[in-house]
Amino acid sequence: MKNSSAHSADDPILQWVTFRLDNETYGINVMQVQEVLRYSEIAPVPGAPSYVLGIINLRGNVVTVIDTRQRFGLEPAEIGDNTRVVIIEVDKQVIGILVDSVAEVVYLRQSEMETAPNVGNKDAAKFIQGVCNKNGELLILVELEKMLNEDEWSELDSL
Amino acid sequence: MSKDTQHAALQNYLDELLDDAVPEMQVEPALSRVAQSNPVQSVLHIDPSYKELTAPALTLPQLALREPLISEEQISRLPVSIGRLDTQDEDDVQSSAVASVETEAELGKVSWADSPFECLLFDVAGLALAVPLSALGTIYRFEADELTPLFGQPDWFLGILATPQGNLKVLETARWVMPERYTAGSRDNLKYVISINGCDWGLAVHQVRHAIRLQPDQVKWRTQRSQRAWLAGTVIEHMCALLDLEVLAQLITVKDKPHCAISAVTGKL
Repeated sequence: MKNSSAHSADDPILQWVTFRLDNETYGINVMQVQEVLRYSEIAPVPGAPSYVLGIINLRGNVVTVIDTRQRFGLEPAEIGDNTRVVIIEVDKQVIGILVDSVAEVVYLRQSEMETAPNVGNKDAAKFIQGVCNKNGELLILVELEKMLNEDEWSELDSL
Repeated sequence: MSKDTQHAALQNYLDELLDDAVPEMQVEPALSRVAQSNPVQSVLHIDPSYKELTAPALTLPQLALREPLISEEQISRLPVSIGRLDTQDEDDVQSSAVASVETEAELGKVSWADSPFECLLFDVAGLALAVPLSALGTIYRFEADELTPLFGQPDWFLGILATPQGNLKVLETARWVMPERYTAGSRDNLKYVISINGCDWGLAVHQVRHAIRLQPDQVKWRTQRSQRAWLAGTVIEHMCALLDLEVLAQLITVKDKPHCAISAVTGKL
């Protein structure tokens, strides 16, 4: 993963796109974000895994949209005016993740990031790359690569 | 539930805690009961800038310590029904964690108890607990809306509390010390978080009381820690369980070792 900028080789600054889910703020590396879309109709895919909401047509390309809340073990929520689909690219695979809202892009020094507790046995705990205090709140940094395991990424590819 | 039944419930629980206690060590009448200075404030750093901490519990006791520290009211709040947790649940890390922590060989003795020592008393879900002041860090006021929960974590992980000293991972103490008596209501009315010295973990508790000074012979020490490894012993006089925070920290962080300076804790104890 490349850094978006590097003020110091020892303590690079990374940019993170922040989004909200269940009143908490999460961050994903800006280098993995392609674009942010308003919510539009998501076509369900018969036989798809439960974490797949469906597919959307993105300028002629089919993009699979992941139910981020379900993946994170959060309760489902209604679609609202602020609901967004964040199009991300992970290992040359493009998917969408549904979030409650997208907030901003923040700059974080590597040294500002703290490791998250490593006490969870649940799969979802693996997605948390770290945490960081920013603007008076705790930002949870998500490691998108680990949102799905290898088999699941392959499964998405075949949808 | 009658008063007798309530007393019996509490006594049963303490009896359970004593099951593993060493029979040869007798509890003798206490000679020294309370520090007359204020050991809580002298040992603990209570951060004034974080939250106004006006709990009367943090002032030193003027009370007659012959009285049990668990009041009738507290006894009445003890759960009548017991919600047993599934010990096979993946969230219940204690069983596996205990196996990972060196127990039998090292846990029988605690270096901080060679001479009289100060303890802080606090309540968790109706149970009075004591911990050596030397193992404690800072006391913060518990505000549920200031905790940031993290998905995918065990149920006993309440969230991260941002403090001036850094992020503190908050543990639901009741789930650790008495999972067999944990009820849904045990999470209600948590008021304080007590950080463990040298560690970025804190214990969520219902009430902070005051400090007491214990003579080693006031404690019924355990030498076998195959179960409840965090329990150093019990103090019948005060009807409380004495926690071994060093072991508790090891249990908590057995999977989280990089983030907790166990050696620092050990060094303090």
